[in-house]
Amino acid sequence: MIKFHPTDKQLTQFAEGNIAATQALVISAHCDMCPQCQEFVQAKSYEFAKDIENIHAHEQTDPAFEKMLAEITAMPMLNVRPDITPRIELDGKFFDVPKPLQRYVKHTGNWSKLLGKVWQAPVEIGGEYVANFIYMEKGGQVPEHTHRGNELTLVVNGEFSDGLNEYDSGDFLMMDSEHVHAPMSDAKDGCLVFSIVDQPLHFTSGLARLLNPFSHLFFK
Amino acid sequence: MLIGMTLDNSKNNCKPAEVADEMSEALVEVANERCKRSYAKVFSYFAPRLRSYALKQMGNEALAMEMVQDTMANVWQKAHLFDASKGSPSTWIFTIARNIRFDMLRKLQNRKEDICSDDLWPVLCEQTPDANETSLDEQITLEQVGQLFENLPDKQRAVIEAIYLDGKSQQEVADQLSIPLGTVKSRTRLALQRLKDMLEDHD
Repeated sequence: MIKFHPTDKQLTQFAEGNIAATQALVISAHCDMCPQCQEFVQAKSYEFAKDIENIHAHEQTDPAFEKMLAEITAMPMLNVRPDITPRIELDGKFFDVPKPLQRYVKHTGNWSKLLGKVWQAPVEIGGEYVANFIYMEKGGQVPEHTHRGNELTLVVNGEFSDGLNEYDSGDFLMMDSEHVHAPMSDAKDGCLVFSIVDQPLHFTSGLARLLNPFSHLFFK
Repeated sequence: MLIGMTLDNSKNNCKPAEVADEMSEALVEVANERCKRSYAKVFSYFAPRLRSYALKQMGNEALAMEMVQDTMANVWQKAHLFDASKGSPSTWIFTIARNIRFDMLRKLQNRKEDICSDDLWPVLCEQTPDANETSLDEQITLEQVGQLFENLPDKQRAVIEAIYLDGKSQQEVADQLSIPLGTVKSRTRLALQRLKDMLEDHD
């Protein structure tokens, strides 16, 4: 069951389109899995649409509009063909991903073993952000760390806990330097998450601290 | 032929629900018949409103008009994606305008991430008829489906069972049955179409 959602404010900004693209991507993928947030966004969109209906506008004939209308109706209509639903594959296991992430499946690199039972596949989204699918096998753990920047995570499939909470498929997490956590999965089928970070992680305990100089190579 | 087509003022005083119905009908006519007259009706109602809205958002007349043009062009070209059961015409058109604005602003800010509005708010994407499609299933009982299912040809039923009951991928089914992937896909498509036809007859 989904327990962790974006805030009402984030969902409103998302509905309005006034939000950073990376946040929007993870929120959109969350909404694809969460009927409750989907409904909230739909209701907000309806409200914003009302604003357009009620806006003060001069409806008199305007040459610029006449020209625009003629140009548009001279355009061909489009037929969009649906794609086949792409899925994420790891070791013969297939995972469905939410619709907004499907376009990125083909931009996803090969899986590499990070440590122990944790796997990572980089997703090319461009810009200064780094996105990954991360898969924790049962018993797999990411060493305790905090965040220099922001980390956005969506649980795509499975469950994991991090010492702060327990998360399930569809949960939306936003972590920053306030949060220290050590994600690990005890689920029989492990856990697949999608995550975007803008700065490398910072490991906080034990030998894992030795990873810090290299963390930009792995966990960024 | 569009010369002399005046923008219609009379809609101003109509009740919102009536406007919504009228606009819905017009959009359906645009989608089905490429009806320019119906499109002009939608255009004359929304274009001036979108301009006022865009001016507030973009603060610049040229950008505002670009936003109106792109939005209304999408309405013309993709009218077949409007689904009245999922929301009002104004909500649909608002979401298109929002997406256009989002992409315009990102372009102006020179953002490098390969993320575009169609991924974030897929208002202009065809709904994929895939395994996740549940809307049809929800409308009838499981028992009814079971009965219809029995009527499928054996080969189609085997594929549907493996995919939808056992949760196998199409590739896995192809391997298991030693048939080409393309055959699995076409059997799935045929079976789903057949089930859909049977359900429609059922009503």
